[in-house]
Amino acid sequence: MGNGWHGKVLRVNLTDKSCTVEPLNMEWAAAFIGGRGLASKYLTSEVDATVDPFSAENKLILATGPLTGTYGAANGRYMVVTKSPLTGTIACSNSGGYFPCELKYAGYDLVIIEGKAESPVYLKIKNGEAELADAGHLWGKTTAETEDAIRAEFHGDAKVACIGPAGESLVHYACIVNDKHRAAGRSGVGAVMGSKNLKAVAVRGTGGVATADNAAFRAAARDTMKMLRQHPVTSEGLPALGTAVLVNIINQSGAMPTRNSQCGTFDKAEDISGERLAQTYLKRNKGCMGCVIACGRVTRLADPRFSGTGEGPEYETLWSLGAACGVSDLAAIVQANYLCDEYGMDTITMGSTVACAMELYERGLLGDAETGMPLKFGDGDAMVKLVEMTGKGEGFGVRAGLGSYRLAESCGAPELSMSVKKQEFPAYDGRAIQGMGLEYATSNRGACHVRGYLVSPEILGVPEKLDPEAVAGKAVWAKAFQDVTAVVDSAGVCLFTTFGIGIPQVTRLFNAATGSGYSDEQMMEIGDRIYTLERLFNLKAGIDPSQDTLPKRILEEPLPDGPMKGAVSHLPEMLAEYYDVRGWEKGIPTAEKVKSLGLA
Amino acid sequence: MVLLRIYGTLRMMLGGRESVELPWREGDTVGALLARFQAGERIPVTHKLVDDRCMLHTGTIILLNRRNILHLDRLETPVRDGDVLALFPPGAGG
Repeated sequence: MGNGWHGKVLRVNLTDKSCTVEPLNMEWAAAFIGGRGLASKYLTSEVDATVDPFSAENKLILATGPLTGTYGAANGRYMVVTKSPLTGTIACSNSGGYFPCELKYAGYDLVIIEGKAESPVYLKIKNGEAELADAGHLWGKTTAETEDAIRAEFHGDAKVACIGPAGESLVHYACIVNDKHRAAGRSGVGAVMGSKNLKAVAVRGTGGVATADNAAFRAAARDTMKMLRQHPVTSEGLPALGTAVLVNIINQSGAMPTRNSQCGTFDKAEDISGERLAQTYLKRNKGCMGCVIACGRVTRLADPRFSGTGEGPEYETLWSLGAACGVSDLAAIVQANYLCDEYGMDTITMGSTVACAMELYERGLLGDAETGMPLKFGDGDAMVKLVEMTGKGEGFGVRAGLGSYRLAESCGAPELSMSVKKQEFPAYDGRAIQGMGLEYATSNRGACHVRGYLVSPEILGVPEKLDPEAVAGKAVWAKAFQDVTAVVDSAGVCLFTTFGIGIPQVTRLFNAATGSGYSDEQMMEIGDRIYTLERLFNLKAGIDPSQDTLPKRILEEPLPDGPMKGAVSHLPEMLAEYYDVRGWEKGIPTAEKVKSLGLA
Repeated sequence: MVLLRIYGTLRMMLGGRESVELPWREGDTVGALLARFQAGERIPVTHKLVDDRCMLHTGTIILLNRRNILHLDRLETPVRDGDVLALFPPGAGG
């Protein structure tokens, strides 16, 4: 193959310890692109939607896209697709760094991991060779320790994706960390890996990625990178301050979910802002392989209580471990972020779970006897302590490891979990940004911002400014953003490129790489197909349309402060329009729709 | 007086300065205040927010009392004594 896809799938059966190579289903590749879409097609074809996510019958798919590892734009991404233990929905988590390209350079489009190992193992891939190795000596190690140990014993240049202790103990939002600081973060994909006794995937790949039309690809890549280098967001805003620049933007806009979404502004936002991070712990920015944006943050923590180096925190983390918990102690947030990387936990769900626990504690629904310590909003040390307990599986951390929904439900107050389909929503209040509320409610993996980032038009004004308070028309925007994101995630491109480029550029790169001749409209239809496929899996899994909703607080409790004071989410109005736009009858794709997308 | 709060790369350019106060004048608009802000600085600053035709960059956020001027009268939006302007050069995240 010389067309973006290698045409190879590595299938690893942990039960019988076999590693086999099989041809990629090219018909599916043409219909679902790669990455998220193609892995979802394989998962939904091979896994019963009703399986227990922690059973041997669930599968874990690591998927590159046809553009992963090329020099087209910011193409260092891969996806992890499985059934989520947190939500019971399909899970697809994205990560960047260097591991994704290395996997592609080893010669595989997908790695399908099935079964369950009897004892801890890790997968070693060296170009065309793959084998399972004992990982008993790695069990219990942090992600950084694991990566260092594997590189020492396998290959000094290997790239490693692994779980930490949280994945081993099935923390429901454990992530898979690659290159020490990048994570396929959400929905508990690391817990599925842990349930299979798979500690890590280590890859050494020295091949490349051939493109079908080299001259056309070179020209497309040149033009795309020029656009990214000229756009003020991708050329300057993201490299200079990273995602953390959003703290003040979102807070000033009245959309910062604060103290478990009890209000929409945080009076100490400046203390946890990107600007403050730049003045204190930020050392430099860093990019994924071949990226012209380089939004990553390399930080060094020097504080009487904590020390260390790492990457981040990103905006979502500054919010979740900060404003959501009422914490303005930046050093504590940075430390907790490092701990999440080391133990391998999603910072969004972790922080939101701490915030939920703090509200439960302050309402008297949790006591010292259960938590082992006071848990009050604003206490940074308590927040760090609970993160550590969760990572280690100690004390109250075991309950926190189940996520905010299960925790709040066990206290008789599930409405205090700020989640959709049991996954916590990220750093934007759905009352202040109406479209984001709709996006959370309809995201196929539970509440999420990177299925359709309507913050971009509603707050940032990119590609054009929408009124965040408006309701009409948001359904059309939500579908469009969700479909574009599905395409980008499937191609192997970083979503952040879409601040500066759009579907025409992705289509041009894709066509040149693969030799396809798709129009922009056809690519958008593929996005619709992927989104609908995920929806069909969720319906089979028992996630019915009644779960396309938001927490009662967001629907009924008016924001008490800020410029959006008095706002509630108008989800019901938007949802009806959304179903119409999608071609879903009361939330269920019609037979005609399913057939028209080739999913019948 | 009108308080201009400075954020993002603009703050970095100005050595970490978080705000500047400007005297309010009758008939003031957001655009007029930006012009006076620039006049008081030694280095170019407002090019981070607007282009050389005084058009807002895509992604520039200017909030007047926490309301985006794109939903008001853009740079022609009237400013009153005591108002607060928040200036954000294009930035993003997620």
